[in-house]
Amino acid sequence: MLSKLAFRNMKRSAKDYLVYMLTMAVVTALMYAFNSLIFQNDINQYFELEALMEVMIGLATFFIVLIVAWLINYMVRFMLEKRSSEFGIYLLLGMKKKMISRIYMRENILLGGISFLIGILFGILLRQVLLAVMFSMIRVEYRIHISFNKWTVLMTVLCYAGCYLLALFRCRRKFKKMNIHDLMDAKRRNEEIKEKKEGLKQLLLPVSVLFILAFWAVFSMLSDVGEIALFLTGLVITIYLFYMGLSAWIICYVRKKGNGIYKGQNLFLLRQFASKIRTMQFTMGTLTALFTLALMGASVALMFSGYENTVLEEKFPFDVQVYSGDPEDDFTDELEVLQENTEPLKLYTYRIYTDHADQVNTWMLTHLRAWGTMYQKKDGSPDMDKVKSMLKEEGVYCTCDTYMGITDYNYLRDMLGYDRAEISDGEYLVHIKPRLYEEVQGIGEELKIADASGNGYLSCAGIYGEPFSQDGHNGGDYVVVVPDKVLNRMKPYYSELAADIKGAAPRDLNQKLDGLTDDEEHDFGGHKMPDLEGNSCSGSDNIINYAAVNLVRDNLIPEVKFMLASLIIPLFYIGLVFVCVAVTVLSVQQLSDSAKYKFRYDVLAKLGLERAQLHSLIRKQLGAYYLCPAVLAIIISGKMILTMSKGFVMLTGVPVSSGSFFAKSIALFFGIYVVYFAVTYVGFVRNVDEERG
Amino acid sequence: MNDYIRVCDVEKYYGNKSNVTKAVDRVSFTVEKGEFVGVMGASGSGKTTLLNMLATIDRVTAGHIYYENTDITELKEDALSEFRKRNLGFVFQEYNLLDTLTIEENIILALTLQGGKKQQIQGVCEQMLRLLGIADIREKFPYQVSGGQKQRCACARAMVNHPRLLLADEPTGALDSRSAQTLLETFTDLNRTMGATILMVTHDAFSSSYCGRILFLKDGKIFHELVRGEKPRKVFLQKILDVLSLTGGELSDAQ
Repeated sequence: MLSKLAFRNMKRSAKDYLVYMLTMAVVTALMYAFNSLIFQNDINQYFELEALMEVMIGLATFFIVLIVAWLINYMVRFMLEKRSSEFGIYLLLGMKKKMISRIYMRENILLGGISFLIGILFGILLRQVLLAVMFSMIRVEYRIHISFNKWTVLMTVLCYAGCYLLALFRCRRKFKKMNIHDLMDAKRRNEEIKEKKEGLKQLLLPVSVLFILAFWAVFSMLSDVGEIALFLTGLVITIYLFYMGLSAWIICYVRKKGNGIYKGQNLFLLRQFASKIRTMQFTMGTLTALFTLALMGASVALMFSGYENTVLEEKFPFDVQVYSGDPEDDFTDELEVLQENTEPLKLYTYRIYTDHADQVNTWMLTHLRAWGTMYQKKDGSPDMDKVKSMLKEEGVYCTCDTYMGITDYNYLRDMLGYDRAEISDGEYLVHIKPRLYEEVQGIGEELKIADASGNGYLSCAGIYGEPFSQDGHNGGDYVVVVPDKVLNRMKPYYSELAADIKGAAPRDLNQKLDGLTDDEEHDFGGHKMPDLEGNSCSGSDNIINYAAVNLVRDNLIPEVKFMLASLIIPLFYIGLVFVCVAVTVLSVQQLSDSAKYKFRYDVLAKLGLERAQLHSLIRKQLGAYYLCPAVLAIIISGKMILTMSKGFVMLTGVPVSSGSFFAKSIALFFGIYVVYFAVTYVGFVRNVDEERG
Repeated sequence: MNDYIRVCDVEKYYGNKSNVTKAVDRVSFTVEKGEFVGVMGASGSGKTTLLNMLATIDRVTAGHIYYENTDITELKEDALSEFRKRNLGFVFQEYNLLDTLTIEENIILALTLQGGKKQQIQGVCEQMLRLLGIADIREKFPYQVSGGQKQRCACARAMVNHPRLLLADEPTGALDSRSAQTLLETFTDLNRTMGATILMVTHDAFSSSYCGRILFLKDGKIFHELVRGEKPRKVFLQKILDVLSLTGGELSDAQ
């Protein structure tokens, strides 16, 4: 009998809480699909950084389990409250609390179980899509095959069950404390509107608005971690106080009989909105926080994926490139490896030269936006102490300036399919990373490079900005190209080998090249900090920077992409789940309240509102309710995302405007939003129109 | 006086082919302007159904209802809403106040839905609050005041737009006797001072003794009509009780 009761109740709940079930199914599907990446051996075997993906997804799963547990806990408590009088009747009939709690648990577990099964089925499909995306991202061929990995299922079950255990554990305690009167009374208590000290509370609105404005004004200037932490804490508190202030402010406005309430249905809308926000202020705050996190996660993911789709492809213009700190190196071993493993079309060894001065480095450190005013004195002139110590110790630029002969330069340009560059004996030119092209237009006026005779100076013939492998190979950020004669006055600095090979490089070529030198000799990616005699200059790139002695394009791009994917995928995963959870809470709140709303709308209908007017009123009510946390989240996250993406664009050179990541993540976010809004609206209208028809 | 509201051969059936219930069976009557009419009957006699059809909340199966020259049975849904807004006021047993609004705001909302200027709305609202003696609880929410006060607020809301007809469905049903009496006196006042036309459905003889005319409904048909005329209320109440005991007697005879 009890099972039957539980089953019947579950069926009824399923109808009422369809949105919740759908979300649980979606969450299961996402969990299954993303967890499967951890157990995806086909990918991991290729990459050195295989553990990274696992760790990142594991980390994401941790947060997701917490949030989903919150959702379940919220829903379980919510349904409990809605059905309290029903449980009161059970108690009156003489059921024991334990029994009721068992029925209720059984119902919830049934509900969860069904969502889980639907979710797993959906997840198996989603996994295929995700893998296909992932494999195309890292350029590995993937053949779709439906498989059912027991470890993935097990992990998903564990996560899911973990969520439920966390949620239901707290609910049990609630059952213990109940008594019949409270249960029967619970519903009525909900409807009471407590208005106390609204005048004081309404001040919270301007205060929180001011705080948000201050946040916008100051955030990009914050540099100290402590300050940022302080501001973020303030922001979290503000989010919660905002809703208290907003509802108090509306209540005060209505009480003051502001002009707005005398127009159409405004009075009804304002009151409805204020009372709903009042009863849910804490939940609304949490939802805003979730939206904010989701937006930020999605934006960061979009930044990295933007990088991967644009800049990364340009980072390795040569098929193979090898660095050697020895200026006399003739690359015998490397050439042998290349001959053995590939069909080289062109092989070219050349030297990078230096004049043991640092005027170009100094110019870069004092003029590029990436460095700001870090290396300038107050009057704008270079702070040479800082510059010297930077060049010696930090290893961003080479210790000395880097030069290249015009013959070598033109040979390399030929290899890459660029037009030849021409300079006369009295000229030089600068080749710079594409990202910095716009920033260095003034460099020609300030450099003083002695000509071949040593008596005069060269003049600048131009600046080139094509991709040219300038993360420490052809200079860091820049290389100055001079007539070959001028090189006689300079010293070879280090050697380079560039190769053009036929077809794709074999998968292990990079490893083979790396194997030629002992780790000790790598003074490159992992600089030997104490003495930086050689080259360890990857330039001013930041956030994502791949510096290595041996670059094999066809090996590295998938490797870097995989590394980026291990950031992008978990971030999207978190963003998606957070948004779904938050929107579900909004939807369920509205839908399950529609009984109460039905009464209110019936009264309005009796007061003479037409059906179309009622529907527009419902749209307004839902719209305000849905938009409020979203807009607040957009305002708050906006500043952080814009600041971050501005820095990201500046430091990585992704060729898009910094606002585009934000715009895209809002678009993505509203896609999900609109779906839930539509479902809620349809359900709501159906509930309200029921019977009255 | 002309016939203000005419109900002509109205029928209302519920159910399907195999099982038809005649809730209202060929009922005809008229209401004149400024009249206070009561409809009495036992539970299931069809009085609320009749009221709902007059209120345009329910549709007739057959017959016509005229408000002066308008036949509301012919109107489309949107036109009905408009008609309802312009011409009708409601008072129900369950008060039907919006719980998120204060007493005063419940009245203001009814006015703003009709459109109007702020000053005008405030003026009308103030007048109504005083007339019904609820000015001192205007800031309270419905759950904070007594049933009688809620019902008076509902009356105020129903009357602010000067409806052609005030429809009351068991308005005293949930009130204690003191509040019920106050409310009925309010109705009489509204009827006399504002000239409101009122149609009240009730099964309580005491309540109906405040009416000017009473229609007795049984099994969906009108079987009797009483007019108070110049009779004092107590005499009229006795007459009503006589009619009721008669129906009761008949019923017990039948058993």
